[in-house]
Amino acid sequence: MSGPTENVEPGDLGPAAKAELDRAFDRFYRDHLRDVYSYAYYRVGNHHDAEDLTEQAFLQAYRHFDRARRESDGRPLRPWLIRIAHNLASNYYRDRSRRPQTPLESADPIAARHDTEAIAEGREELREVMANLEHLSEDRREALIMRFALGMDNREIARALGRSDGATKVLIHRAIKQLQEEMSDERGE
Amino acid sequence: MSEASERLSASSWDVESLLSEALRPIEPPERLSARFEDTLAAVTAAAAEELSDWAEELSESELRALRDPRNWVRPVVAVGAGGVATGALVLIELRRRGRRRSERGLRSLAGGLRSRL
Repeated sequence: MSGPTENVEPGDLGPAAKAELDRAFDRFYRDHLRDVYSYAYYRVGNHHDAEDLTEQAFLQAYRHFDRARRESDGRPLRPWLIRIAHNLASNYYRDRSRRPQTPLESADPIAARHDTEAIAEGREELREVMANLEHLSEDRREALIMRFALGMDNREIARALGRSDGATKVLIHRAIKQLQEEMSDERGE
Repeated sequence: MSEASERLSASSWDVESLLSEALRPIEPPERLSARFEDTLAAVTAAAAEELSDWAEELSESELRALRDPRNWVRPVVAVGAGGVATGALVLIELRRRGRRRSERGLRSLAGGLRSRL
């Protein structure tokens, strides 16, 4: 399946190949838009930048889609796509030297989406867990976002973060343990 | 399983279920797809335009002219003339240095004779 590895941009393809590529990318876009947007949102903490980041991630993915398909050997491309978004998010912070403008605890996921149900059910724990998520290191937080917001398994997360499966498993385990300890400390358990 | 480990595993399960609830997938706004399609179309059009500009710059007649051996004479002559000119400059410089060396030799010989007399 794997052909030459040089990068062929979509514009360099013949009309039939380009049409096929565009159709495949369209499906890919629809299948993963929510994943990329969710990831971007939980990374940057606001809808405006999440939209920009999502758009940039898909534009970059489009440019390299043909090569990624050839080199994937049938493996899912979601980790590759999330890795693009991850790199863009890292650049976003580096370039602008800033952290999320709104802490996730008061950002929309809870405020807009979960508030009605959460408050109705008295689920202050949700706020608590989101607040504590902010205390985690970037790699731990990212791994949890990938696991819980995107439903990625260890192998996918490992590919997206460029780590081994074992290291990823340890990373997630430690992230959960840290959250658990911090929440227990706050409750005075 | 001990009581402590049971409590730890139950507590761990709680954190995971809280995370599942707190980190729900976020639906992207509908406008995002339209915006992305517009951007992609603009990027593709710009790339196509750039490609056609480049193709227009080298028209078919220009490409034919480049392939015609009759047009290779000028560059060959230019390279030859450049080589000859460089060679001539090197030769002139060598002669000039040789002349200076022999002048210096004559002057020192005359000086030596004068001092003896």
